[in-house]
Formats: sequence, C-alpha cells, structure tokens
Amino acid sequence: MKAVILAAGEGKRLRPFTETIPKVMLPVANKPVLEYVVDAVKKSGIAEIIIVVGYKKEVIMEYFKEYKGLKISYVTQDKQLGTAHALLQAKSRIKETFIVISGDNIVDQKSISQLIKDQSKYSMLIKEHPHPSKYGAVFIEKGKLKEIVEKPKEEIGKFISTGIYKLPKSIFKTVEELTSRGTNDLTSVIQEVMKNGEEINTIKAESWMDIVYPWDLIQINEAMIHSSKFSVGGVVEKEVTIKGDVSIGKDTTIYSGCYIVGPVVIGEGCEIGPNACIFPSTTIGNNSVVHPFSEIRNSVIMDDTHIGSNSFIKNSIIARGTIISNNFSCISGDNTVEIDGEFKKLENLGAMIGEDCTFGSHVVIDPGIIIGRKCNIESMKKITKNVTSNTKVM
Amino acid sequence: MCGIIGYTGFRDANKVLIDSLKRLEYRGYDSAGISVIHKKQQVYKQVGEIKALEKNLPDFKGTVGVGHTRWATHGGVTKENAHPHLSSNKKIAVVHNGIIENFSKLRENLIKKGYKFASQTDSEVIAHLIEDNYKDNLEKAVYSALKKVEGYYAIVVTSTDEPDKIVGARKDSPLVIGVGDNENFLGSDITAFLKYTKRVVFLNDGELCAVTNKDIKIFDENNKAVKRDEQVIKWDYKDAEKSGFSHFMLKEIFDQPDTVHHVIRGRVSEIDRAIQFNENVENLLSNGLDSIHIVACGTSYYAGLVGKYMLEKLTGIPVIVELASEYRYFGTRDENSLIIGVTQSGETLDTLAALKEAKNSGCRILVITNVIGSTATRLSDGYILTQSGPEIGVAATKTFTSQILVLCLIALKIGMLKNKIGADEVYKYILQLKELPRKVRQALDQSDEILKIANQLKNTQSVFFIGRGINYPLSLEGALKLKEISYLHAEGFAAGELKHGPFALLTKITPVVAIVTKDFTYEKLLANIGEVKARGPKVIAIADENDTEIEKHADFVIRFPSNSDIMSCIPIIVILQLLAYHVANLRGCSIDKPRNLAKSVTVE
Repeated sequence: MKAVILAAGEGKRLRPFTETIPKVMLPVANKPVLEYVVDAVKKSGIAEIIIVVGYKKEVIMEYFKEYKGLKISYVTQDKQLGTAHALLQAKSRIKETFIVISGDNIVDQKSISQLIKDQSKYSMLIKEHPHPSKYGAVFIEKGKLKEIVEKPKEEIGKFISTGIYKLPKSIFKTVEELTSRGTNDLTSVIQEVMKNGEEINTIKAESWMDIVYPWDLIQINEAMIHSSKFSVGGVVEKEVTIKGDVSIGKDTTIYSGCYIVGPVVIGEGCEIGPNACIFPSTTIGNNSVVHPFSEIRNSVIMDDTHIGSNSFIKNSIIARGTIISNNFSCISGDNTVEIDGEFKKLENLGAMIGEDCTFGSHVVIDPGIIIGRKCNIESMKKITKNVTSNTKVM
Repeated sequence: MCGIIGYTGFRDANKVLIDSLKRLEYRGYDSAGISVIHKKQQVYKQVGEIKALEKNLPDFKGTVGVGHTRWATHGGVTKENAHPHLSSNKKIAVVHNGIIENFSKLRENLIKKGYKFASQTDSEVIAHLIEDNYKDNLEKAVYSALKKVEGYYAIVVTSTDEPDKIVGARKDSPLVIGVGDNENFLGSDITAFLKYTKRVVFLNDGELCAVTNKDIKIFDENNKAVKRDEQVIKWDYKDAEKSGFSHFMLKEIFDQPDTVHHVIRGRVSEIDRAIQFNENVENLLSNGLDSIHIVACGTSYYAGLVGKYMLEKLTGIPVIVELASEYRYFGTRDENSLIIGVTQSGETLDTLAALKEAKNSGCRILVITNVIGSTATRLSDGYILTQSGPEIGVAATKTFTSQILVLCLIALKIGMLKNKIGADEVYKYILQLKELPRKVRQALDQSDEILKIANQLKNTQSVFFIGRGINYPLSLEGALKLKEISYLHAEGFAAGELKHGPFALLTKITPVVAIVTKDFTYEKLLANIGEVKARGPKVIAIADENDTEIEKHADFVIRFPSNSDIMSCIPIIVILQLLAYHVANLRGCSIDKPRNLAKSVTVE
C-alpha cells in the first residue's frame, strides 16, 4: 500500500515561523514535524510514500533526500487550493487502495497500522477532542460515519476528523468531479461519497496532534520530546549536572557549572554555559550558543541562535538565526491575542520570536507576544504589542 | 553517501559501468572502481573522479560487472579502500553503500578463520563473509552473510562461479533494479541506468534479488520468493537529485548557509574565544612565518586573493598569491615561507605540480581542499577540509565561500598566535563569523530582485565588475562566474585602474557592476562610479543595506547585509553568484556543465 502525505501548505496562521520554511518542516525536538509522520508511516509497513509538495518544496526535498532508504517521490501542487486538490495531484501514482495523511499531523504508528489493516472500503481515523469547534466534528453510528460538520459554531459532539483516511483508487472520480466544480477540500469529498451510499468505517486514533497556531509548537515539543533517542555526544566539562533524559549533539560543548534537567534535546555544534540552566522540556537547535547565567524552561530554541548572559526564557519559541543580547527576559503569563481575525485566550505563554531578529540588551517582552522575522529591537525596550516582520523598534 | 551499480547483459560492461558511475557522481567522487567478470574478477580502482578511473582503464572483456563511486566522510581515501572489494579466493566482488556497525567483530572472526584482508574498510567484511557462506548458490550465500551483519547497506555482488548473475540487497540504503531486454541493471538510483531503460522494479527494505540477463528473482527478509511488477518511469528523476532546484548550481548556492557552518563548526569557539585546527596545521601556523605563498588555479586562485587581504590585515605577514601553472615554473621558493595550496578537488594537476616543486625545495605545505584523502592532502604537511560536500555544478560556488572562510580562520589564528589582534577584536570577528549563515540567508532572500536586475544584463555583449580592496578579487570572481556559465564577456577591474586603460573599452552598452562597501575608500569608489556614468553605461551597485547615498549614483542597487569589512565578502559573493546564475538561466545556457569546462582539471 502507498501513502500520500499532503505537505504543500504554507501555514499562514503559523507566521512568522513559516515565512521561510513550509509548515511541515517546523522543528519538534529538533526533527521536522513531517519526519514524525514519515517515520510512523514507515513503521506501519508502508514502503512507498508520495509527498505532495508546493510551498518551499526544496526544503522538504533536500531534507528527505536519502531518508533511511525509503522510496519517496514527489508531486507538486502549484496553487494551494485545498486538500482534495492536493490529493488529485498524486492520482497518476495510485494504482490501488491507499492512505492519505496530512504532513502536519503527528499521529501514533499503531493507529496507522489499524487503519491499514481495516477491511472496509473506506475508513478514517477520528479522535476524541474537547474542542470540536476548531475542526470537523464527527458523528458516528455503530462505528460508521454518520455526519461531518466542519467547524461547528457550538461545541457539539466529542469526536473530530483527523483528516487521515484509507481510500480506494475510485475516490479520484469523486475528487475530480468536486474539484472541477471548485470544491477543493477532502471533507466535502467524503460527504459526497456518503451521499452516494457508501459506508465509511471509523477508527479511534490513540494520539493525534496538529499544529495550527505558533504556540502549539511548544505543547507538541513538550509531548514529543520524550520520544527522542537520547544520547550524549560532544564535550561535557567537569562540574556539569545532568538529570533525566538529555540529548547532546556532536561538536557541542557544555561548559562547567551548567545544570540541565531533562527531557532536554540539544543539537550539534552548540556552546552552552558556563553556568547556564536548562529545564524541561526544552529543545535547542544546531549551532546555538547560550551564554553564562541564562535560564531556559519549556521552550523551543531553533538553529543558529545566540542567547546572551543573564537571560530568562520560558514557554517561548525563538526561531533560527535570532541574536539576543544580555539580560533578555520574556515574561510568561496569560494574554489574549488576535490572530487571523480571531481572539484567542492564552495561558502561561512566553514570547514567540521569528527568524533572524536582533535584540539589544535588557529587552523585556510581555506574555504571548509574536515578533516577526528580521526585526531589530534596540536596547532597554519593553515590547507589549505584536511586532510585524522587518520592523525596527527604536 | 556512495553510488553503486551492477550490470549483466550483452554490452561491454566496462562502458556501461563507467557511464552509470558518471550519472552517480553527484553521490560522491573521491574514489571509484569497477570489477568485470571474464573468467576471473578483473578489478580496476582509482583515487579521484570517474574521469581518473576512465583515463587508464584497461580494456576488460566481459559483460557482467559491478562499479562504485565513493565519498568518504571519515577515514582515508586510498586505492585499497576503494570498492569493489574481493573475497580471499578472489572469486567474489562486492560494492557497498552504507555502514557495517559490527564490522570489527566480524573481521576478527574472519581473520581467525584465515581470511586475508586487503583494506581498512568495513565493506570488505561482506566479501569474505559471503565466501565463508558460499556453497553453490550466490544469493543463498549473500542471504546467510547478511544475517550476520548489523548496520545499513545496499550491496551488489558478483561471483566467477556464477558468471552471469548479479545479486543485490538493501537495508536502509537505496537500490533499484533496471529492467532491459536481455540485460538488467542494479543501481543506487534510477538515473544510473536511465540512459538504457525506463523500466524498473523497486526493492523494498530488507529484500534481496538475484538478477541475470534474462530473469529477476526477489526474496524477502525470510528468503521467501516475492513477485513484483515492473513500473515505467515517467517523471523526471533529476528533480529529486537536485531537491527541487532547477540546477545543481542553484542548489549549491542555496546550500551556503549550511556549508558556512561546516567550516566554522568544531573550529571556532565563541565561549572560549578560540580558533582550533588539528595539530599538524597548528604546528604549521605557529612556527616563525616570514611570508605566505598561496598557490591555486581558477576560482581557488581568487579565493587566495581574497585570503591575501584577510591575512595581511590580521597578521601583518606579506602574502603572495600565485597561479599554480606559473608558480610551478617561475615562482620563488623560500624555506621560511608557508605555501598554502588551495584546490577544491585536491587533484588539480597544476596545483599538485606546483606544490611538489615547493616541497622539493624544502617549503612547508598547507592544503585547503574539499576532498579528504585526495593527492593534495597526501603530499601536504597539514591540510584543512572545507567540508562542503560534493559540488556538482562545474562553476564553483559553495566551495569558493568555504575556501575563503578557511583562509579567514587561518588569518585569525596566526593573528592570535602573533598577538597582532587582541582578544576583544578576535571576539568581534568570531561573533561576525557565527552570524554569517544568517547574513547569507539574507542575501539569498533577494534572489527574485537579483533576477529582475539580471534582465538588464542578459542581452549585453560585455560586462565590467569593479571594486577596491577586498572587493577587487570579488570583482574578478563575479566576472569569472558570469563568463563561465553565461558565455558573456566579463572583466573584473580594480576600480582605480579603469582610467589606466580599460576605459577605452567602456561604451554605453557595457553595464558596470560596482561593489561598494562603506570603508575608507567609499568616496573614492563613488567617484569611480561617476567617471563610469559620464561615459553612459548603466551602473549596478552592490551596496551596504545601510547605504543611503548610493541610489543617487547607481541605476540599480542590490543590497548586501552589512557585517564587517572582512566578512561582508561572503554575502557579496552569494549575490554575485545569483546574478551570474540568473543571467545564464535567462540566456538559456547549460549551467551545470558549461561548454569546454570540466569540474577539476587533471591535465596541464
């Protein structure tokens, strides 16, 4: 059986983090989200994967070039019109029943195996969820799908659609019909199939997560960091305390007096300390430097970052290439933020900082603030509002 | 990464193997070899590219064989370590891509049993192990041998006892079967045999296959026969090789944020404020240097010219940069001078000859190269690897910036050893080095704007590049890139030299690319631009992002992220590369393989 992974989307709601990489390449414990998907699919016994790429496809194709000898081929969706339209691009590669899965969903391998083994003509993975209104709410009867309601106004039902399906090749007829009428989402295709009298079996997924908003990255990092293969490479100097599961990449040096409590993943070529403290569940990317007396908790620090001395970072995301001078502090707390025209109440959240920013010393950032890419924040500033990309704060 | 190939059929195996290896060269090219069966295993290996292998290739008879092209990430590159490897009885030949994790234990056991090893590689173990398990059937022997192996692999095996058969197996490394008429292929990827057939059968992880010119048998992990249909390849596999980029050159230009890291990582420590090299290199750099000679050809020579500015500025030691083909016959050899040879492939004949001459005169030799174990590293007293990965585009891009960075690190190291630069200044440079990947990304971000400006150049006959100081060699390199791939006439000049001759060639239709940095020659350069403008041509300025004046002087401006007088050269080069690339692409030139040029020149 083949698997089609949809990875063409840009992830506009995840800006600024998706300005230079596609959504599926966002790092979780130093691995792109898509790698978790590919691994789960591979482990469930699928030998051939077709990835539908589009936005910034080079990043994906370069990363998965020689991936564990797995046979991966690519089809391009030039315009990101919708999930059904994306699937349609893979039509010529599909000869039999296949599974389709979104590249930004992290799902456990067992659930995929169950889906593959299921004998029904059509089947889908569903998941219990406290807030169905964000997704497609799913109603079932005797294990079969009864109805999908896209983004219901009220919190009705308790299951949602994961968007992971096992489908027969004949589905492409319906897909073609609908897309030619301008309906481009997979949910509508499924509704159409039901209308034609087909039964769709439902299987409950054990674990399933997706990334919609920037802060989801912190939660998913916390949830997935345990699955890392922990190993210590590089140099750990004397008088360093390491507790719990800590991974340290090659060419990384942890200087004297550091205190690290796992789960923590530190990439390759980093320099940490002396006397820096890193607490759970923190990921630090490759080639990053954390200077003395800084404290980092439950955060995602990506590649090439520089964190000055005496800084405090908690529940935050710092993207690739950002340079932070000394005495930086992001206050973690509650805030209501507007994103995509919607107001979201956020709890216990720090700062979310885009790629290649530069911060002067003694900058303080309010909870839940998003700072765009390539911003320049001068010394002694307090940031209380979101900052758009390429802004100078003087 | 390595590339492997197997062939059984009716054609000359020699020719098919060499052809296929050339297609696989993007997977590595530090050494290569083939083995063709004709009564016995006829093996020929060579260090260097496939071309080196092809050059003196004996005229092997036979229509069945295996081939291999290697890219070592650690360990030596020698003829002995090149594949194929033979078993002790010389009947079985193996090519391997991957790593055998338990090889030392296997090796010990096999030596105890009396098997004789000829190389240091993990791969050779497989050959002896197959011999040890061989009774009367090659695929059975391979199956039993692989059961004992831990690690990952793709292998192709032949044996003189079953001379028309090739056996392949894979686990976590790629291998595909190409299906022909009365001939069949095995290869690391489809491009290896795409010239001969578009019909393929895919092997799954853990599977093994036995292939003759007539039939293909596939076995799963439990040695049970599997049936699998062939598929016809319709799509362009080249795309996957290039990761979605339209040319290798563009991919390699976009590799540079990473390759910059590869130079710095493990050598520059921000917390310790130190630059470290291996012992041999540190010895070369710490002993009384009176002068430095940099010897190189082509783009590497320009890297040397850039390095000269860095070395002289940071160390105060006079530096002479010589073209290897000239130095070899006419250069001075001073025993107290350090000779730095710069060669991407480590096999450039002119450079090697020049280095040998210098060595014979008692000079100490430091080599900067991209290929571990190449001839240049072996004749040096110490070498520094640029660690850029294989470069396929004939026009050097990522290896050029890496060579410059290595020279920059050498300059900083000598400056520190000689106390020419203080700890604080060193720290400033280290921070700038660490910031480079993001500056390079910033330059790459402008690819679309550069494309617009490239439109201004595509229909011209001739382009001038000008700059002062470190920007002078950058002008030379900018011009070289443009001529190499777009076939436009282009010249680089020191900006102050225009009036001493080149002005005679300047007409309204000769665009001038000026590299303008905000150093103490800034005003002078603006004056030079004024002189140019007075004669009517369009001026394209590559200027600092904080330069607010430049628009008044130039017709088009491309911004580079300011960093420092020394390190800014890296993002500027990236811009020049993109400019050359886009012009060539607009003109429809063959970018990855320009006419009359070869990647590494191993002739005089």
